[in-house]
Amino acid sequence: MDRRGFLKFAAGGTVGLVASPIIWNTLYDAVYWTQNWGWIPRLKKGESEYIPTVSKLCPSGTGFVVRTVAGTPVRTIGDKNNPVTHGAMTALAAAEAELRVSPARLKTPLRRSPDGAYVAITWTEAETLLKQKLQEAGSSVAAVSGDPTSSINEVLTSILNQRGSSDFYFMPDEEQPAAVAWEAMGGQGRLGYDMENSDCILAVGAPVLESWGVVAANRSAFNRTHPVAGEPTQKLLYAGALQNNTAAGADLWLPMKPGTDMALLLGVAHLLIKAGKQGFAAGLANFASFAAAYTPEKVSGITGVPVARLEAAAKALAEAKKPLVIAGSALGAGGSAGPVMVAVAINMLLGSVNREGGLVDMPFPVSVVAHATEYRETMRKRFVNYTQAVAAGKTKAPALLLVYAANPLYSLPADSGMKETLSKAGYSIAVASFMSETCEACDLVLPAALGMEAFDDVQTPYGSGRVTYALARPVAKPFAGARSAGELFIALAQELDLELGVKDMPELLYKHAYALGAPFRAMMDEGRVFTAKTALPASPLFYNWEAIRSAASARGAEGDIQVAPVVVLGMGTAQTAIPPFATKVVTDYQLKGKYSVAQMNSATAAKLKVNAGDHIRLVAGNNVEITVVAAIFEGILPDTVSLVAGLGHTAFDQFSKGKGSNVLALTSVCREPGTGLPVWGLAGVKAARA
Amino acid sequence: MEERNNTTTPATEAKKCSCGWGAFVVGLVVALILGWWVLPNLMKETKKQPIAFSHVEHVQNQGMTCEQCHFVRADGSFSGTPTTAQCAECHFTVLGSNPEEARFVREYVQTGREIKSEWLVYQKQPDNVFFSHALHFGPLAELRGPKETAAFCSKCHLNVAETDVPPVYTENRLSGYSENTMLMWGCERCHAEHMAMGNTNASNACFTCHK
Amino acid sequence: MSSEVKQFKIRWGMVIDIDKCTGCGACMVACQAENNVAPAVDGSNKLRSLNWLTVFRLSNHKPFPDHEVAYLPRPCMQCGKPSCVAVCPVIATDKREEGGIVSQIPPRCIGCRYCMASCPYHARYFNWYDPKWPGDLAQALTPDVSTRMRGVVEKCSFCHHRFMKAQEAAVAAGRDPMDLPDGAYITACTEACPNGAITFGDLNNPAHKVHELIKSPYAFRLLERLGTDPQVYYISKREWVRREGDNYLEHEKTGEATKQG
Repeated sequence: MDRRGFLKFAAGGTVGLVASPIIWNTLYDAVYWTQNWGWIPRLKKGESEYIPTVSKLCPSGTGFVVRTVAGTPVRTIGDKNNPVTHGAMTALAAAEAELRVSPARLKTPLRRSPDGAYVAITWTEAETLLKQKLQEAGSSVAAVSGDPTSSINEVLTSILNQRGSSDFYFMPDEEQPAAVAWEAMGGQGRLGYDMENSDCILAVGAPVLESWGVVAANRSAFNRTHPVAGEPTQKLLYAGALQNNTAAGADLWLPMKPGTDMALLLGVAHLLIKAGKQGFAAGLANFASFAAAYTPEKVSGITGVPVARLEAAAKALAEAKKPLVIAGSALGAGGSAGPVMVAVAINMLLGSVNREGGLVDMPFPVSVVAHATEYRETMRKRFVNYTQAVAAGKTKAPALLLVYAANPLYSLPADSGMKETLSKAGYSIAVASFMSETCEACDLVLPAALGMEAFDDVQTPYGSGRVTYALARPVAKPFAGARSAGELFIALAQELDLELGVKDMPELLYKHAYALGAPFRAMMDEGRVFTAKTALPASPLFYNWEAIRSAASARGAEGDIQVAPVVVLGMGTAQTAIPPFATKVVTDYQLKGKYSVAQMNSATAAKLKVNAGDHIRLVAGNNVEITVVAAIFEGILPDTVSLVAGLGHTAFDQFSKGKGSNVLALTSVCREPGTGLPVWGLAGVKAARA
Repeated sequence: MEERNNTTTPATEAKKCSCGWGAFVVGLVVALILGWWVLPNLMKETKKQPIAFSHVEHVQNQGMTCEQCHFVRADGSFSGTPTTAQCAECHFTVLGSNPEEARFVREYVQTGREIKSEWLVYQKQPDNVFFSHALHFGPLAELRGPKETAAFCSKCHLNVAETDVPPVYTENRLSGYSENTMLMWGCERCHAEHMAMGNTNASNACFTCHK
Repeated sequence: MSSEVKQFKIRWGMVIDIDKCTGCGACMVACQAENNVAPAVDGSNKLRSLNWLTVFRLSNHKPFPDHEVAYLPRPCMQCGKPSCVAVCPVIATDKREEGGIVSQIPPRCIGCRYCMASCPYHARYFNWYDPKWPGDLAQALTPDVSTRMRGVVEKCSFCHHRFMKAQEAAVAAGRDPMDLPDGAYITACTEACPNGAITFGDLNNPAHKVHELIKSPYAFRLLERLGTDPQVYYISKREWVRREGDNYLEHEKTGEATKQG
């Protein structure tokens, strides 16, 4: 065939192709290509189910409805039928369906090999190892739990008790100092707060709308008392070093220097006594004369709160029908008992104890597992005292250390002795859901199911004014190789022939519900939540002015610049780190790239000669040095910088790792005078441009 | 040029020409064969459904209604094809003599394998499409019996109600979509009309069908 | 692209009480999870992170201790006269469907970003990169909103799929899908807000709470004097917050434009 023939062949071919449907059909099919992005995940289809349960990751036990599609959780939505949280969510609970499948999630048991690397092992191997290590350890076993609301703790205490060890601890939390304070003032039950029914709340140091107490319940109460575009039925006064989220919702902000809560509260007490609020109890006269030294001018000098605002706060409390005073710490752990004592005293002055909208003397959660330690007893023990004693060699290091649902290596100050305790312990086991700093330091890591994947419970969290009981029910299969921690510990006890009195988690939960008179069936089947107003007979409270006096003798912070820590739930907790879906909630005044951001007002910035965006070096009293980025924000006291907590993770995943600095690194453990409580001393820092 | 002109006689020209037209015809025929049969068939991939399900058996012989398997859930979403669990409500054990049924019970019901995720959907739509069966069912309540229902549903779907074996599923290898997938113009045929199927809400605004 | 504005029987709108918002961010998390917005590794980079809903911190610009703070969640305003729709060369964004939600169809978008330039609220975001759900995160995608691809613009849709679902549910229950009761259709952020700062409903329907709320003397809209006629209203009793809503000169008063609107 010659050239011309070929061209004709080609022409014929072209005509033929044009006359056949292939080109047109292919062009027509191009419409499909607007939809074909093979490298972008496709959506799954299937039936949606909405199953109510409660969050075990959010410290406030948020009640939510988990939406599953074809069995996989995709959303968590506030549960409007939950009588505790009324559908209110937190940024953490809202991110829980995504946290369930986050890259930091532990998928399989891991054992540390002699070269230091982790080796994935099977559950059978893990359980054998667990049993063997526990048997070898004898009575030299210690455990710490970061989830005080769970009845799984009872199984752990029972195992430890039967092995002959009493070293079971809760992680330091908000309740431990409060329990000390309440007991010092004569309280016999558990301290509770009926925030919902109060018409005027003064929160000193306690960020009630962000991290203190049952946050979701607090927020829902805030919602109900603040109608849209209407007149609020509750006043909220907040004292803290900066205008945080709680201050944004408060009617009055009292700018208070970090660590001066005692002085502020005593100043308020003094003003109230002067205004005739003198609820009688033993020790009133002594307390009144002690508080009298705290004149508004003196208090203003110590705390930085303008006199007018101090007086306005006292006036609002005096005029309110159901005032309530709450003291707490900004960090949520490592707080002092002293401020809570004065807060209790003020509530006594105002007649706000065992009254609607006041302090409530509540029963403590009761243990139902055989040989378990009572909640109240565990609450009295201090983990940091133990770790510091082990670190100092005063107490024998445990042959086995078990860390459950906690990340102490991250969430305790550097001098807490945790690091030393972990390295001195014969063997260390972490039972956790995410690869935390503590997991990375343990010899054996066991992946625990989340609350939405296993049976668990939320017993009345601290901050509640009612007895509440909610069940966490498995709405989905545990992710990858995770297993229910409760079932794991129960199986372990059975392996060791220990007596628990319960054979599995549902039975344990049933016993709890039965003890409370809660409708177990409805809770199990429909996700109902039990609440009861069970106030105990009024405790013989008295103004323990001596305890207050010694607590008030605590040294104030030193250093040029004070650090005000801010806790936001969008940053997750020490166990979860920053949830992948919450990184965008982290603001540019909290984190900038790799650096934490220190907010300061323009006066402070001028004093330090820094501009917004400058890098500054903060050197703490314990010689820890961090570099942060400066941001200007006028809603903060002079000579104070705020740093958000929850940054500076070295473990977890790309969403948390290597971002900013851990504010706890700047703190060191001190002892509160009188109570001897280990408190996180926020010593001042020296600041200079980097 | 001149030389070439000289050597080209009318006879050779005619010969070349006829040979050239032959080449044209050959090219045409080859292309037509390619374009009408070979390439389309190369691009098509036919697949069989995992189970030779008989609608005839279920509807005509057993007297089942369409809604027993394909129904609107309480929240308004459509169930689509049944799950293994739904099938197992009757087929928890082998009921008849059909070997396909026995295979279904053995391979799916007894093992818990999910038939719904394996079933090939003739009208598979991309993620970007929101289609609500409930919103299209407006007039369905007035329909009576499987015949009328089938006639209504087959406005968009293949009419499977009277098939003894499922129709062949044909997929385009390039696009990955079923040959029966309705394209946007198919939807717009009705949606552009103001009173399509008696429903004034059938607007053709983008968000009526896209998500 | 005509200057004529389409009138709707239903106008979905939002009223955000700024005095109730404390900036916790639950709305932003819920929004991302609901609408399959991919997570950002460095979310503190606000130029690169993509949000359908962003919470901004407002300041009264006074020095300590008279400083005040407020938080302002910003979804898409679903403007009555959307400037984005007018500039889109391919009708990838439109305001035509009953309900008055401004639609955005990513596969149709050609990525010219005219709409982003024209939106005075910065409510539109561009996918500079392909979205990524590292590890198993894609398992938690909802079936409701299609994933986007690099090179297209996306924005808040008032969780439009929930409108569709509410209509479905109404039809299934034998009710009129075009007359949904208050609360039958709410957005994910409305649902997630623990403080109840967001109210959602049909601005035209007297049976819906928002109908009355927008008449509040404290109601205002963002940059309302531009004439975009947003369907998102804000409420604050604080004058300084209302002044933050637009570029007011010292002698100018707030609230005039809302009354006219």
